[in-house]
Amino acid sequence: MLIYTSRRLLWTPVLLIVAGLFIFSLGSVAPGDPAELMAGQRADPEAVERIRERLGLNDPFLVQYTRYIANALKGDFGESYRYRGRDVWELLGPKLRVSLELNLVSYVVTLAIGLPLGFWAAMRQGTWKDPTMTTIMLLIYALPVFFTAPFLILVFALWLDWIPVSGWSGMFSTRAILPAITIGLPGAFVFMRYMRASTLDVLGQEYVRTAHGKGMGHMTVNRRHIARNALLPIITILGFSLAGLFGGSLIVELIYGIPGVSRLALEAVFQRDYPVLTALTLLGAGMLAVANLVADIMYSVIDPRIRLRS
Amino acid sequence: MKTARFLGISLLAAMSLFVVACTSEEPPTPTPAPEPTATQVPTVVSTPPPSRAERPTPVSSQAQVAPELLQTPERVGDERPTGGVFRRLWADPPTLDPALVTDGTSYDIVIELFSGLVKLTGDANEPIVMDLAESYSVSNQGRTYTFILKEDLKFNDGSPVTASDFKWSWERASAPETESPIVDEFLGDILGVQAIIDGEATIADGIEVVDDHTLRVTIDAPKPYFIAKLTYPIAFVVNRDNVVSGGENWTDEPVGTGPFVLKSYSIGERMVLSKNPHYWGDPAYLDEVQLLLAGGSAMAMYENDEIDITGIGLADLERVTDPNEEISKDVIEVPPSFRTSYIGFNVEEPPFDDVHFRRALNFAVDKTLVANAVFSDLVRPATGPIPPGFVGFNPDLKGLEFDEAKAQEELAMSKYADADSRPRIVITLPGTGGSPSLTTEVVADMWRRTLGVDVEIQQVEWATFLQDLHRNRLQAFSLAWQADYPDPHTFVDVLFRTGSSINNTNYSNPEVDALLEQANVEADPVRRIELYQEAEEMIVEDAAWLPLWWGVEGKVLVKQHVGGLTFPPLSVPIYQHVWIDG
Repeated sequence: MLIYTSRRLLWTPVLLIVAGLFIFSLGSVAPGDPAELMAGQRADPEAVERIRERLGLNDPFLVQYTRYIANALKGDFGESYRYRGRDVWELLGPKLRVSLELNLVSYVVTLAIGLPLGFWAAMRQGTWKDPTMTTIMLLIYALPVFFTAPFLILVFALWLDWIPVSGWSGMFSTRAILPAITIGLPGAFVFMRYMRASTLDVLGQEYVRTAHGKGMGHMTVNRRHIARNALLPIITILGFSLAGLFGGSLIVELIYGIPGVSRLALEAVFQRDYPVLTALTLLGAGMLAVANLVADIMYSVIDPRIRLRS
Repeated sequence: MKTARFLGISLLAAMSLFVVACTSEEPPTPTPAPEPTATQVPTVVSTPPPSRAERPTPVSSQAQVAPELLQTPERVGDERPTGGVFRRLWADPPTLDPALVTDGTSYDIVIELFSGLVKLTGDANEPIVMDLAESYSVSNQGRTYTFILKEDLKFNDGSPVTASDFKWSWERASAPETESPIVDEFLGDILGVQAIIDGEATIADGIEVVDDHTLRVTIDAPKPYFIAKLTYPIAFVVNRDNVVSGGENWTDEPVGTGPFVLKSYSIGERMVLSKNPHYWGDPAYLDEVQLLLAGGSAMAMYENDEIDITGIGLADLERVTDPNEEISKDVIEVPPSFRTSYIGFNVEEPPFDDVHFRRALNFAVDKTLVANAVFSDLVRPATGPIPPGFVGFNPDLKGLEFDEAKAQEELAMSKYADADSRPRIVITLPGTGGSPSLTTEVVADMWRRTLGVDVEIQQVEWATFLQDLHRNRLQAFSLAWQADYPDPHTFVDVLFRTGSSINNTNYSNPEVDALLEQANVEADPVRRIELYQEAEEMIVEDAAWLPLWWGVEGKVLVKQHVGGLTFPPLSVPIYQHVWIDG
């Protein structure tokens, strides 16, 4: 397994270089010139040329990319075009942190609602309660964010006046509540379904019958034998979710005025801020690679029948 | 020249401040921000890009007329409360370096942090007043300007401001390493500056320090509009130690002379301005101005008391203006800014190389009908480039008024009268919104009905638009231009003179050029205006543009506890006069 892991890890940089190349090449293919955007509409062409020269935009594409990768290996991801003189990581750092926090609280919401509901529904399989709850959660899942977000704002911020409408002051502040619900609630349906299926699986197991047969209390069986075992597969799924932790949620960030990574990314697209875009891509690809690896390893840990072979 | 930047994202924009203006489609830009001065702006609503100027921002710039109507209540005689925080949405400024400002978002902040010898007022009767200068005199047949600085001027760190600071600032702005995209335009008239721009010198003889309080500036020809250009940030004074020691990010802690100081700035999150204790004039009433940069649902934030001002989206317009609603008391009418929206024709591209064809398109559009039916009279049909209330506005200019018969006549005279042989026509607008400009669609429809001329409308995002515009790849385009400084030069000369870098229509008329050349150096102000008006009339007759609207009036919401907020038609520092009732 050690060999497997290290091989996978060694492949990661190759993956990153290819992914970065893809985004970076947009710079030479896409219309729009970062230097022109920096200089503005009225700029005289000489000024634009000077900026191009300084940014190295006149060099052949591969030269630019090689230089970028060489610097990146030294930890230097370049400077933003849009925010002159601003190091890319200095720019990304605070945004990533906000997105990370936002996603964490959203997961908490998702799990806190989805897992108990899934368990609850499974225990009521065959009654009207199970399909009813599933339907309700499905409806919530289907609601678009641009409906739920304004709706939540209207109710909780404007009518009830409980919570601020916008901004971000950390995952433990009241400002985090509405965005977390907006992102987390639809996901709850997915986890509810996983949990329900997984619980039903466990319910059919002999050890559950045995436990009941031994005269254990319902609560104890539920908690100690059913819920615990049902959660195991869910943990694997959570591993996959890791990749999304640093990702933003554009619409939610826009509606709630959250200074996360999506707004920055969108702006970078419009402003042709390739250093920022490339760094974000590398980060995303890197997270995905790691998450996949973690999930693979988790499988083998949880189910020893799966062997990681290279 | 400011470009309004795009920061925005359309959504953002959309959500954020849409100015009321939005109603018109033109401008609204999104971001919340700023707008300032001049420049072109894209007209489309949705996105916000940047153009120079235009963003519609919200509040800021708009307004021109009748200041008394446009402000939040002025309580005469009362003691104004000091302290308090004024909060609004804004967008990240592309730069805070005065030498690099070309967009409205940056401009509106930079003029609060820095200042120069003279400044704009937004008042048509006295558009320019002294700022750091106590007075100035002009000699040498209009070629030499001698400025006397005020006594005891200080930067916000307490260090003194002298004439040599100005010399250093201007030379630094001109240096190639500074990479100012507009120095040529604003300081290039000063003797010796061109050599610095070209990298052949580091100091300019035209900028002389006579003594600590006296600065003598010599320009290459008597240009009466020169003083107006000095209101632009590139002519502001910066602090040498600050710039040199701060390196590339010196604007993180800018040392300026404006009424406010940059207290903190976290990108994409919030910028806080606090009052400058060393400001030469009356100190600001406010403790702080907080600019929220992360966007959000502007209207909800306003109603939840998280911001003090917002534009009004179309969806909310009816509700907030209903006199039965409490919120209707917050509505303030914002007069139009000095901005002209237009459709520009690339006169080198068929079929726009034919003056008759261009005139036909002009005559075919019933602007009054559109203004009334589509925009509820929030816009005013434009007859030419110079907007009402602006220096040099010509109320007698009739322009190419709607006249179907004349339109058809002109079309018949043009070489593109035959629809089959007429080249395909594409009008490009900047923007990323879902729906392209309503104006453009209505205009296109009028062309179709009156002349049988079919056009395609194409919307591209700002970066692409800008590139195509610079490369003259656009056949026709929809934009708006906002004044940079109070002089007709900012409209007539920079947009239509042969060879001007932003003459995007490639319009070229030797007679117009001759008039402009004469006007640019004419000493008699009355005669000068006449010359510009004459040129303007010829430009209108040649139909390089289809002028659409002047300004866009708008409505904004301002909290009742905010006093002293004004909406001048050009961007001027506004926060120093604002107070918050406790």
